[in-house]
Amino acid sequence: MSGHELHPLIKQLLDGDITLADLPAELRAEGEAALRLLAGVDRTDVSMPAVTWRVMAQLERRRRRFLPWLLAPALAIAAALVVWLVPRTPAPASLVTVRFVLVAPDAKQVSLAGTFNQWDPQATPLVRAGATGVWTATLTLPAGQHQYAFVVDGARWVPDPGAPAIDDGFGRRNSVLTL
Amino acid sequence: MRPESQAADGEIVRAVLAGDRERYAQLVERYRDRYARYATRMLGSVDAAEDAVQDAFVRAYDQLAQCKEPEKFVGWFFLILRNRCFAERRRNRSSASLEMANDVAAVDRADGGAETAEQRRALQRALLELTADQREVFVLKHVEGLSYGEIAERLSTSIPSLKMRMHRAYDKLREQLRDHT
Repeated sequence: MSGHELHPLIKQLLDGDITLADLPAELRAEGEAALRLLAGVDRTDVSMPAVTWRVMAQLERRRRRFLPWLLAPALAIAAALVVWLVPRTPAPASLVTVRFVLVAPDAKQVSLAGTFNQWDPQATPLVRAGATGVWTATLTLPAGQHQYAFVVDGARWVPDPGAPAIDDGFGRRNSVLTL
Repeated sequence: MRPESQAADGEIVRAVLAGDRERYAQLVERYRDRYARYATRMLGSVDAAEDAVQDAFVRAYDQLAQCKEPEKFVGWFFLILRNRCFAERRRNRSSASLEMANDVAAVDRADGGAETAEQRRALQRALLELTADQREVFVLKHVEGLSYGEIAERLSTSIPSLKMRMHRAYDKLREQLRDHT
């Protein structure tokens, strides 16, 4: 055995197959040192609370990217029908259905305030999906750019973690949704 | 009826596949921390581990229909995270740095002096030098506290091959830590 290798009995000790008392006397000091070293392994728990909303926001963001493409043919057909049936009526502005999602397990209530509801925090409550802590609201909005924020428990304004945000000029961040 | 928060994994997987996407958050919430430590020790950095765990959950969502046994979602998810960690290690093989070792060992417990803290850091650095296979078996046994039998079941391998990996890891660590023992 080369000097770089641990004695097989020390390996068995580290594996927990034998105890220090099972080692011959000449190996005990080395065994103790090896166990001391192993005791220094970092077993600190690691918590990643942000992962839940990061995952859900990423899934939602991706879904939103696809949604307008899925809706586009239907909207085109609807617009064509309106034009065909009522040729003198101007075609309506394109509407897009969007689902807003916020993961807030500790919230008692969540609502949406934005340019589409005159920033009224009472106007658009989100619904909690069972006991999951996931809050959602589905809105149909005109195509274009909208700014918004979530309002948690009527007091805390939270930008959407899954959307880009801009400074509102008053020290707060508004999320931006472009449809 | 069981509350949603206590629903079995299989029930949640089936609900998500049936279109109730938001319930996937329950699975993420349930398992994100269970493997956070594994990913952190495998990658040597909390930030890299968080990215890996997030990415693994997104991949698992994409492939959820391929989860043959929804009741065993967690074991299936672990293999996705494991692949992600191994791929990340291959990408960044040369960047296992002192900084990363310090990141992992940043939370030094108060039960030792400077010498012990230095030993811990040296150990974290040495762990980063192991191959991914060696490191994984070391982390699962000595950080996660699993038995060889449990590790063998999780990785679908044999106990003798795990022991061989581990014993090589011991030798390598000994070589690296000569001055600290």
